[in-house]
Amino acid sequence: MADTMGHSATATRNTSVALGFCLLAIAPQIFEFIWSIGTIFGWGAGRGPATVLISHATALVAGAPAVLIGSVGGETKKASSDVLLALIYSYPILAVAIVSLFMAIRSAQDYVGGVILMALALFALWASSDLQGMRGFSFGAGTAPRMFGGLLVALSAGIALTGLLTDGPAMAHYSWRGPLFVMASIVFFALAIRPLGLVVSAFVSFMIAAMGSHETRWLEAAIVGACLTLGCALLFPYVLGLPMPMFPRFLIQ
Amino acid sequence: MDIFANLAHGFAVALSPINLLMCLIGALVGTLVGVLPGIGTIATVAMLLPITFGLPPVGALIMLAGIYYGAQYGGSTTSILVNIPGEATSVVTAIDGHQMAKQGRAGPALAIAAIGSFFAGCVATVLIAVLGAPLTKLALAFGPAEYFSLMVLGLIFAVVLAKGSVLKAIAMIVLGLLMSMVGSDIETGASRMAFNIPELADGLGFATVAMGVFGFAEIIRNLDAGAEMNRDLVQQKITGLMPTRKDLRDSAPAILRGTVLGSILGILPGGGAVIASFAAYTLEKKIAKNPSRFGRGAIEGVAAPESANNAAAQTSFIPLLTLGIPPNAVMALMVGAMTIHGIVPGPQVMQKQPDLVWGMIASMWIGNLMLIIINLPLVGIWVRLLRVPYRLMFPSIVIFCAIGIYSVNNAPVDVILAGVFGLVGYWLIKHDFEPAPLLLGMVLGPLMEENLRRALLISRGDWSVFLTRPLSAVLLAIAASLLILTVLPALRAKRDEVFTESEN
Amino acid sequence: MTSIRALATGACAVALASLCAFVAPSQAQTYPTRGITMIVPFAAGGPTDVISRIVTAHMAQTLGQSIVIENVVGAGGTTATARAARAANDGYTLITGHMGTHAASVPLYPKLAYHPEKDFEPIALLAGTPILILARKDFPPKDLKEFVAYVKANAEKVNAAHAGVGSVSHVSCELLHSILDIKPVGVPFNGTGPAMNALVAGQVDYMCDQIVNAVPQINAGTIKAYAIATVERNPSLPNVPTTTEAGLPAFQAQAWNAMFAPKGTSPAVVASLNAAAVKALDDGTVRKRLLELGSVIPGPADRTPEALATLVKNEIAKWTPVLKPAS
Repeated sequence: MADTMGHSATATRNTSVALGFCLLAIAPQIFEFIWSIGTIFGWGAGRGPATVLISHATALVAGAPAVLIGSVGGETKKASSDVLLALIYSYPILAVAIVSLFMAIRSAQDYVGGVILMALALFALWASSDLQGMRGFSFGAGTAPRMFGGLLVALSAGIALTGLLTDGPAMAHYSWRGPLFVMASIVFFALAIRPLGLVVSAFVSFMIAAMGSHETRWLEAAIVGACLTLGCALLFPYVLGLPMPMFPRFLIQ
Repeated sequence: MDIFANLAHGFAVALSPINLLMCLIGALVGTLVGVLPGIGTIATVAMLLPITFGLPPVGALIMLAGIYYGAQYGGSTTSILVNIPGEATSVVTAIDGHQMAKQGRAGPALAIAAIGSFFAGCVATVLIAVLGAPLTKLALAFGPAEYFSLMVLGLIFAVVLAKGSVLKAIAMIVLGLLMSMVGSDIETGASRMAFNIPELADGLGFATVAMGVFGFAEIIRNLDAGAEMNRDLVQQKITGLMPTRKDLRDSAPAILRGTVLGSILGILPGGGAVIASFAAYTLEKKIAKNPSRFGRGAIEGVAAPESANNAAAQTSFIPLLTLGIPPNAVMALMVGAMTIHGIVPGPQVMQKQPDLVWGMIASMWIGNLMLIIINLPLVGIWVRLLRVPYRLMFPSIVIFCAIGIYSVNNAPVDVILAGVFGLVGYWLIKHDFEPAPLLLGMVLGPLMEENLRRALLISRGDWSVFLTRPLSAVLLAIAASLLILTVLPALRAKRDEVFTESEN
Repeated sequence: MTSIRALATGACAVALASLCAFVAPSQAQTYPTRGITMIVPFAAGGPTDVISRIVTAHMAQTLGQSIVIENVVGAGGTTATARAARAANDGYTLITGHMGTHAASVPLYPKLAYHPEKDFEPIALLAGTPILILARKDFPPKDLKEFVAYVKANAEKVNAAHAGVGSVSHVSCELLHSILDIKPVGVPFNGTGPAMNALVAGQVDYMCDQIVNAVPQINAGTIKAYAIATVERNPSLPNVPTTTEAGLPAFQAQAWNAMFAPKGTSPAVVASLNAAAVKALDDGTVRKRLLELGSVIPGPADRTPEALATLVKNEIAKWTPVLKPAS
């Protein structure tokens, strides 16, 4: 782990950090929007993109402030899940983003790590907000997730604070090639194993993954990939008896 | 004495040709399953259960038992070579084992894991034969309150084994706990944080997360520009295959302590075996003259947990053989195998089925012998595998992991989830968070929450049960003192730790 | 088959009748041309799995094709059942349904992805596993009458163990509690093994569980049984009285296991599967193995698809009021 660390604790440009956090603050909303585009083509269930856009925008701009003001005035109204997302998740992260603008970050590795971890914890708090709490002396379904969610918020705030108060490594360098092709290979395998069978999906995934490294020599990779596929095709279904489709479905029928 | 007569009878049963063959098949399949990433023991035993339908019951159970402890031997191999723990029990082995491999000492690491496992297996088998019945009381003495305290202690172990910041290690444990809560709530059945995704209804699988944050993340990290240097270095400097005299001297006491801890904790149903390996590692790190060696390729860090997990794998048969109660999922499948043959295990199984019980105990010793004979020569082959150029190695690991994860539930979504956890693991590495505490939190989380809730239900919400029950109080006291011992020096030494680490 | 016979005995032309009689059975005879997959919604080795394996092993001989058991676990068996409901209705994917998946799931899971009556063709009832009222060995009450009085008087103090929401031990204890009109604390465990461990260790007071796991413990005296919730005593526990004998006739529960096919499977296929299942249940070895498990084998009248359809209907009606308020 140590070898990926940066060298010195130079001050990171705070504006880019703050902008990144703003994006993080509305990441779940963006994700749902992208997901909802699929419903146009009839993939998956859920709300359509227009509904998603409008309901999240109103929740962020109007709904959540209204609830905030309402709670100050003593009103308790049941807030919708979108409003809760804005309230529990987006607002705190946005606040952190604004604070970051005015802070000297001494260890970006710790600070950014802490804030993203906090985002995860807040997201978990939102995800468990609809669960039942304590029922008398017995725990409800939501008690433990909220307890540990809260604890993680505190711990991650501690990590972020360490990043502000003590010197440490700067942000490490992320590369894109490895993650992209390894991920593509995994996703291809997952989508192809049922319709195309083990032989095709294992070989193609091998080749996609091989693209993740600039050292790859194509002929060599193709030969090893073919041998590996053959080995897997014998090992998993026959030696271990795992039920697995071998060849593309359309070829069998 | 009775024991000797029984054992002689057991060996007579286990040494019959058909049972020897079953034992060998079990050991071989177990090793294979342990080595292949992703494919778990539970899935394999479940898969092979129908085959045992046509076998005599003794042979069938000898084979299934062989798969179970054989997988403990094999599980260390992938942990050491490619940093992918196939089972929860080999997560700790990966910490120092993979560091040893990086230093060119994969051979000694693999060999000491096999030797430790063999020694532990032999001792634990004798223990089952001699003390099986009295030790049963331990399993019954553990109620929900004691389990909760044990789990707390287990999580403290996870803090101790972290080599970097204590704060970050605790945060990782809590993240693991949160992740373990995805899925159905045990008490109300309510779906928690599953976002209506059917594949998440039963929670995140251990294999999925472990393959992601260890396996895929390690690969992605190794593909980073500039990481080639380190990798090639590893391939150049492979030294001896077998442990040196000094290695053996260093690890002998660690193996002994690991065996004792593993034998005791293995009897406890539930997370016994997992906690055993963590406890053994923590103990070694705490009593070592120079604890900073741990996490950087200390051979005791491989010897102790591997001995502990194999000892625990053997002693976890005690509740099954003496009480008829399966302590974990694999044992539950064994009960299934017996039930299929019309033998329902219960407290009297030892008297009613002496062939089965003593035959199985004797076969465990034979199986361990077979495993060390199989595994020691394999060390050379495994180490040679490390010489395969990484550009060919990494796509192969990706494929093996993907097939393995898919095979657990036949669920493509699991494979994608593992990929996502690979990205999460990459992010964790970049921010210097350690994945081992996260995994331990995930494994122990459900046990901790369930037992906490059970204990509070039984005590009607009275939190003092954890302190008024003596066993529970002792466990919590150990946990508290361990935490103080870890946090105090860590607070002082935090900065130096970070810098010594970046020199590696 | 009955419809064919009706047709044949009808006023139709002899030629037509013989044609029908010829076509229908020939379809049924050629039906299993390849292996059949039987989904078992629980882990290998559990009571449902073992019963399925015993019966299908014999059925495979009758049908002349292999029957592969696929264990699909998750969400109290409902994941597997939902998958079976969506499977092709060609008779090559079947499921062993169960009291939980095909009755108790309806009130327990409001968002259930299938309906036991509407999405399945019943084939045959295979075997039932009786349910016992068990208690730790030093629990004060000596018999069921005392137990009822004790539990009613100490409803605030007693702890009932169960093997997780939706499990047989959970829903059957809910039935017992609704009959007694009490709400004691239910302590959930992760499966019957840990629950039994807690009962043997005396950490909980009582539980309701299937006979398979309990017989050896009762015989060894590590736990005690108050009654068995069936009409007749069970041969593997001759000393345990039925609930009727012991004074609580209202408590009748059995973890029944039955074979279903996806909706729309042709009647001929259902008929041939039913015939194979009935033949298996009449086989001496199959009966012996099922009885060893403490199972109750259904009589001839209860083995028809129609009888199973009625059973599912009645069971849903029985469990809905018991479990609705709980969830």
